Amino acid sequence: MQSSPDSINPGVIRACQQGDREAFRLLFEAYKDRVFSIACYSLGNEAAADDVTQQIFVKLFTRIGQFRGDSEFTTWLYRLVINSCLDERRKQKRFLPVEEFTPMTVPRKPPETRYERREIADSVREAIGGLKPKMRMPIMLKYVEGFSYEEIAEVLGCSKGTVASRLNRAHKALAKKLSHLRGELEL
Amino acid sequence: MFSRHVSSLTSAYCHDELSPTESRRVAEHLISCPRCRAEFEEIKFGARLAAQLPLIEAPDSLWHKTEIALNRDGRAVPIRKRGRIIPFLMQPRFALSSLALVVLVIAVATFWPRQAPKSLGPSWDVARLNGAPRIGADLVSDKAKLGIGQWLETDTNSRAQISVSDIGQVEIDPNSRVRLVETKPTEHRLELAQGRLSARISAPPKLFFVNTPSGVAEDLGCAYTLEVDKAGNSLLRVTTGWVSLQLKDRESVVPAGAACATRPGTGPGTPYFEDASEIFRAALTRVDSDHDSAGQTNTASLKVVLANSRVRDTLTLWNLLPRVAGSDRALVYDRLAALVPPPSGVTREGVLKLNQQMLDAWKEQLEYRWSDRLSSGPFKT
Repeated sequence: MQSSPDSINPGVIRACQQGDREAFRLLFEAYKDRVFSIACYSLGNEAAADDVTQQIFVKLFTRIGQFRGDSEFTTWLYRLVINSCLDERRKQKRFLPVEEFTPMTVPRKPPETRYERREIADSVREAIGGLKPKMRMPIMLKYVEGFSYEEIAEVLGCSKGTVASRLNRAHKALAKKLSHLRGELEL
Repeated sequence: MFSRHVSSLTSAYCHDELSPTESRRVAEHLISCPRCRAEFEEIKFGARLAAQLPLIEAPDSLWHKTEIALNRDGRAVPIRKRGRIIPFLMQPRFALSSLALVVLVIAVATFWPRQAPKSLGPSWDVARLNGAPRIGADLVSDKAKLGIGQWLETDTNSRAQISVSDIGQVEIDPNSRVRLVETKPTEHRLELAQGRLSARISAPPKLFFVNTPSGVAEDLGCAYTLEVDKAGNSLLRVTTGWVSLQLKDRESVVPAGAACATRPGTGPGTPYFEDASEIFRAALTRVDSDHDSAGQTNTASLKVVLANSRVRDTLTLWNLLPRVAGSDRALVYDRLAALVPPPSGVTREGVLKLNQQMLDAWKEQLEYRWSDRLSSGPFKT
């Protein structure tokens, strides 16, 4: 999951810009899982992620004419994704009481119990959901999309050094929060 | 020697984002700085956790809902029907040429797989050094690729060399079987089922691993040979740097000039310097094997080990401390303290209770006596 996707054919992007719905379907299929994953991890709630992902693709299709090719398409796309997720999170905090969330949580097991792979993934999801956005976003762009530090910096509008620093802090935070899983990951 | 700490560069180092010069600086610093190495381990663990993040499949209904939203938004665009993909082939005037094209495609498809093998995914380069090594059923004629999950085998007359990504090389001796288990920026792993390999790795600690039937050799920045016999017993010999051998909760850290035997099910034995006396080594073998089979220490053999130990053999004695108990541990402590007195803050009582901080502090003081450079110096007894 860490490797970057193959670049979308530029002809597909051009076709989308001309309003070709079938080309847009191709674009949708290429990115839907990654976009949905980032939305889930940002919002901690699959129902909200579903809505936001739809909004993102509608925005993508209606704004794709603005993409001039002066950056990588994926940079442009993920800026849209990150901004949409941040907007949605702000709205949720303003209008929804916390208890209406259905967070994706897994209760911690007693230390002597072994964790299944899925439980480890769920614990990681919960921990990442608890990170501050400044740390969570670089983690998602690195591990969901497989971006380089330079690409992450372009999406987030910061320097490579800032990306490195935020990832450092995020990794340490995860290691601290999930120290009970240290023996569970194979050596 | 670099004195600037490198913790701020650790994630970038794990992700291979540094320049070669910076990367080398970090690698060299990590070998010698316990503080940064501890932080590296923490960050690497965090990175491994993050790598477990699964991709979440979008629900099947998402496209349908998106399309409805697009149409509702009032900016719906007419669905432009695509032309048929190869319409010209269906037209009578092109029937003959399209048939010829189909025949050509079938012919190419029949022969093509032999010339253009499927992509292996991540792989290491293998060079034949001697004889006819094999990867799976295929002979390695000159150079080949070893993909994840594939076995490289050598017979009595063959040898091969594997390039471990860009961090080092491993030579595979005759009558050996190795398999590539994993290769990625934070982990490179081989399995040695049988035979012998020699590794020379220039990378930060804990990046290169070799699985054997009796333990895992974890590179800490080094060169070494590792041999596995048919029964799954291993013998590790370290030429430069350090290697850690582990199985479950048992670990032996082995420096240059030292060796360590491991047995399946019990894991690493007690490391020792190969220039220790024959009497010392034979007695140590009895201590290790009796402890493994009977769960008790052969005190008579332990006393022989202690009586024949030099300052350099404090490597063995320090590693014996947690492996023996009660009065045997007191014997080991007394001999160790006589050879190299513990630093201030490290007490006999604490060591006998295996206080980890005290053990680590004493080890830090002992380590430079284990260095090859001092083997002919004032500390040799």
